[in-house]
Amino acid sequence: MDPLKRFRALAAPLALALLALAAAAAVLATGPLGVSPEQLITALFGHGPPEAELALSLRGPRLLAAMTCGAALAGAGAGFQILFRNPLASPDLLGVTSGAGFGAALALLLGAGALLTQGAAFAGGLATGAVAIACAALTRSGDGRLALILCGIVAGALASAGLGLVIIVAEPYSQLPSITYWLLGSFTRATAGEALLALAPVGLGSAVLLWLGFRLDVLSLGDEQARSLGLPAAPLRLLALAAAALMTSSAVAIAGIVGWIGLLAPHAARRLVGDRAERLIPSAMAMGALFALLLDRLSTAFGPAELPVGLLSAAVGAPAFLALFIATSRRV
Amino acid sequence: MSALVLDGLVAGRRSRTGAGFRLPPLDMTASPGEVIALIGPNGAGKTTLLKTLAGLIPPLAGRIDGPASAAYLPPPGAVSAAFSALHLTALGRAGLRRWSPGLTPDDVEAARAALSRLDVLDLADRPFDRLSSGQQQLVLIARMFVQAAPVCLLDEPLAMLDPAHAQAVEAAVRPLAAEGRIVLASTHHLPFAARADRILAIGPDWIEVKTPAYALGADRIRALFGVETTGCPCCGQTPGFRP
Repeated sequence: MDPLKRFRALAAPLALALLALAAAAAVLATGPLGVSPEQLITALFGHGPPEAELALSLRGPRLLAAMTCGAALAGAGAGFQILFRNPLASPDLLGVTSGAGFGAALALLLGAGALLTQGAAFAGGLATGAVAIACAALTRSGDGRLALILCGIVAGALASAGLGLVIIVAEPYSQLPSITYWLLGSFTRATAGEALLALAPVGLGSAVLLWLGFRLDVLSLGDEQARSLGLPAAPLRLLALAAAALMTSSAVAIAGIVGWIGLLAPHAARRLVGDRAERLIPSAMAMGALFALLLDRLSTAFGPAELPVGLLSAAVGAPAFLALFIATSRRV
Repeated sequence: MSALVLDGLVAGRRSRTGAGFRLPPLDMTASPGEVIALIGPNGAGKTTLLKTLAGLIPPLAGRIDGPASAAYLPPPGAVSAAFSALHLTALGRAGLRRWSPGLTPDDVEAARAALSRLDVLDLADRPFDRLSSGQQQLVLIARMFVQAAPVCLLDEPLAMLDPAHAQAVEAAVRPLAAEGRIVLASTHHLPFAARADRILAIGPDWIEVKTPAYALGADRIRALFGVETTGCPCCGQTPGFRP
């Protein structure tokens, strides 16, 4: 590999991560409470000017939530895309997103508070993923990947049916709007504590995916190849699926359903660093954090009534995905 | 390295209705350094036998004793990967690095050396999916040099290859064995089979391990494929053929 390519492959994840952090600082600096980066750094260590501390305490949690979600969705999306060797794989492949939506809606219907709703979303997502994996284990279709995709569709459809039932049953003037709003996705509702709480499962999931690294590349060759190369294919794949489901569930739990980041960010990162998992996953995560941050900034750009991020991510993400696809296909 | 001992091995696929498919029991000892060709008509069970030896399908009966790990290479075109040929070759070390943080520079160096040995180092940085079947096959055989598997099972390694690539693959098989591995390759290319040390032939209801001279004799070929050959049993060529 020529030195320039090698440098790009190694430096890209780091550069993207720095870019995301810089974007976070820029978002804080350009808001109504314009805070300079120096003020921000002093405020981070607890003795900055009051407006900087205010900006940090008001916008910090939201930024943290956006970046955590973006990184989690993109990391999980990249993991699924590698594992299934399918560019259309996205974080809700196992039905995790629908399951989390069902869990949250059910909790809202029963009048649960914010934290309990998030817990229910998290549990709902993980449960749906577990159902999909368990159903796939019952089948005996050669490679197992097709079974996982089909069982994911089935588990997701069941969760969607449950969600539909909750929406029908919900009280139309008080509960329904809160359920709808929750489903549309937003980074505003996370408190600092909740955003930090989500960091733990997301961190664990990404640590697992990053450790899997070249092992994901082997798994992408299929079970037969993985086993003949001396890797325990089934347990490793289960580990990867669990890590990705954990990350997706936590992201949906704090932000609701924000689509497209998990599909778009890995593709954008792939153009920069290529297909190797150990490079693609960290780059995709940094890219996802950056996208989520920009979408969140965009959601506040249309006056005081914020647009839900879930809407924006589709409105911006879908055309961006198409543009990326056209650009990539033309380069070949 | 130890020999591969098959003791009454029955390969096959069980099916719930009992309609499965089983090969006759096979007793065989293969020693390190040996190249064994596997021949038989389509559907005779060559792939099933190779996958059973690779541990990908459980045997229906009998025992496989010897080296614990075997590398299985599917026919050309069956492996696809978007990353570089060099990385795919280095993944041959995945089994050794099962629990390590990553592949080491040493692994990449070994991959580079193996590619260079098969004269395909110029393909190292190309995406594996963009290579021709013949080039892919050479890269995958380079990966077998990198992989520390004492048994190499090649499923129709010459299928779909042009004569030049077929020759290059054939030329790589012998050194693979010379390093102390046991090589078992299924093939329909009888001249390739003729150059193996022994031939394992799977017929409709029989299985035998013989010398090439015997196994490629006109009567054995008739028993196996139901066709008449007038070819030389050792080189597979028709008398009077001038290359």
